[in-house]
Amino acid sequence: MANQTNTSANYADDLPLNAEDERKIDVVGHAGLLLIACAIGLIANWVGTGTSPLTALPGMATLYVACIVGLALARFVPFYLPGVAWVSLIAILITIPGVPGAAWVSEQVEHLNFLALATPALAYGGLALTASEFTIARRSGWKIVIVAICVMVGTYMGSVVVADLFLRLGQ
Amino acid sequence: MTGKTGAASGALYLHILVLAIVIVSELIGIQRLPIGIGTVIFLPILYAFALGILVNPAIFKASAKFLSRDAVKLSGAMITVAIMPFIAKFGTTVGPQISKIIEAGPALVLQELGNLGTILVAFPVAVFLLKMGREAVGATYSIDREPNLALIADKYGLNSPEGAGAMGVYATGTLIGTFVFAIMPPIVHGLGIFDVRALAMSCGVGSGSMLAACTGGLVAAVPDQKDIILALAAASNILTYATGLYVGMFVALPLTEWLYNKARPSERRAQA
Repeated sequence: MANQTNTSANYADDLPLNAEDERKIDVVGHAGLLLIACAIGLIANWVGTGTSPLTALPGMATLYVACIVGLALARFVPFYLPGVAWVSLIAILITIPGVPGAAWVSEQVEHLNFLALATPALAYGGLALTASEFTIARRSGWKIVIVAICVMVGTYMGSVVVADLFLRLGQ
Repeated sequence: MTGKTGAASGALYLHILVLAIVIVSELIGIQRLPIGIGTVIFLPILYAFALGILVNPAIFKASAKFLSRDAVKLSGAMITVAIMPFIAKFGTTVGPQISKIIEAGPALVLQELGNLGTILVAFPVAVFLLKMGREAVGATYSIDREPNLALIADKYGLNSPEGAGAMGVYATGTLIGTFVFAIMPPIVHGLGIFDVRALAMSCGVGSGSMLAACTGGLVAAVPDQKDIILALAAASNILTYATGLYVGMFVALPLTEWLYNKARPSERRAQA
């Protein structure tokens, strides 16, 4: 019953709002968790594509190092850029043709299916939803569901139309 | 008494449960359902998310016995960790295609402004059709992922109408976003109007799971273009990470506020 008097701000306590906390990220603690995630990723890749974890291991090890370096940069570089942005930039850098080892990296990560690597994150995502999030979704009602769908269609189609226009102009 | 061992076994159960869900999801694999205007594509990430919800302690009470509150909290932390190798793999698709990315550069940069389409489509629906109040401002100014939600929390507080709107879209997006982003691109592609490169670069909306769903659906529909699809989506997603918060802060939110005041001048007078 006490829950009924909770304000939405109380429900928000569990929401992931502390993105900036990456500045205080514990790189060593994350290294261990990342190892678990990579192991599950290798198995997802194995079941999904039939590629043995041993074949895919060098590629996964490379991605692991890229992630750790990216997290460390997010932690120590004196301006804010999210960890995922750093990780992406490093991954791009080490695969640009001409960069030493780029061909090897591209060949190794080819053994990993991109979609299989996302499966573990979504499983954690489903398990991580808290009662608050279900409550917010329920309390917001059907109007919010319609608006949310319009928002998703809007952001996608808005980008599609602009991108298509400028691709045509560029030709 | 159960302190440390309890936490450790809760964490162990969590990872084993995730492993089981992942194996089942990958075994089911990609499924295609042809409908009139295109093909609806079901991806393993969808099953993984749905299975995760099914055994979530908040839904399935028996899970609470071995998944403690701490384990659920750890699961939340694991999302950001587990998406990292995926983001890294995505980045490696950009390097080899770098010249094609630069070629598409202007379109790639400008389509970031297309994210304002949330306002174009959702704002009229929320304000004129559904007669929503100031919730509409928080709900429609952006796709309301974490950074956008933080901006609303900072400006209005989450305990405000704007905050309620933003949180509603956030929670709904979390629940059905993967599904919407998996089925939308193949259907839009089926219309045959748009360049597949435009469809690909629009996948970068700043959310890892939506990115995965969007590109997964698109690659399943157009497998021979896989390399360029992944590379463009990855590049656009990085741009959104870098610019999304600023576009929201300096363009989208002021614009939505202005539109709301134009649409409901009486409310503004009442405030003043």
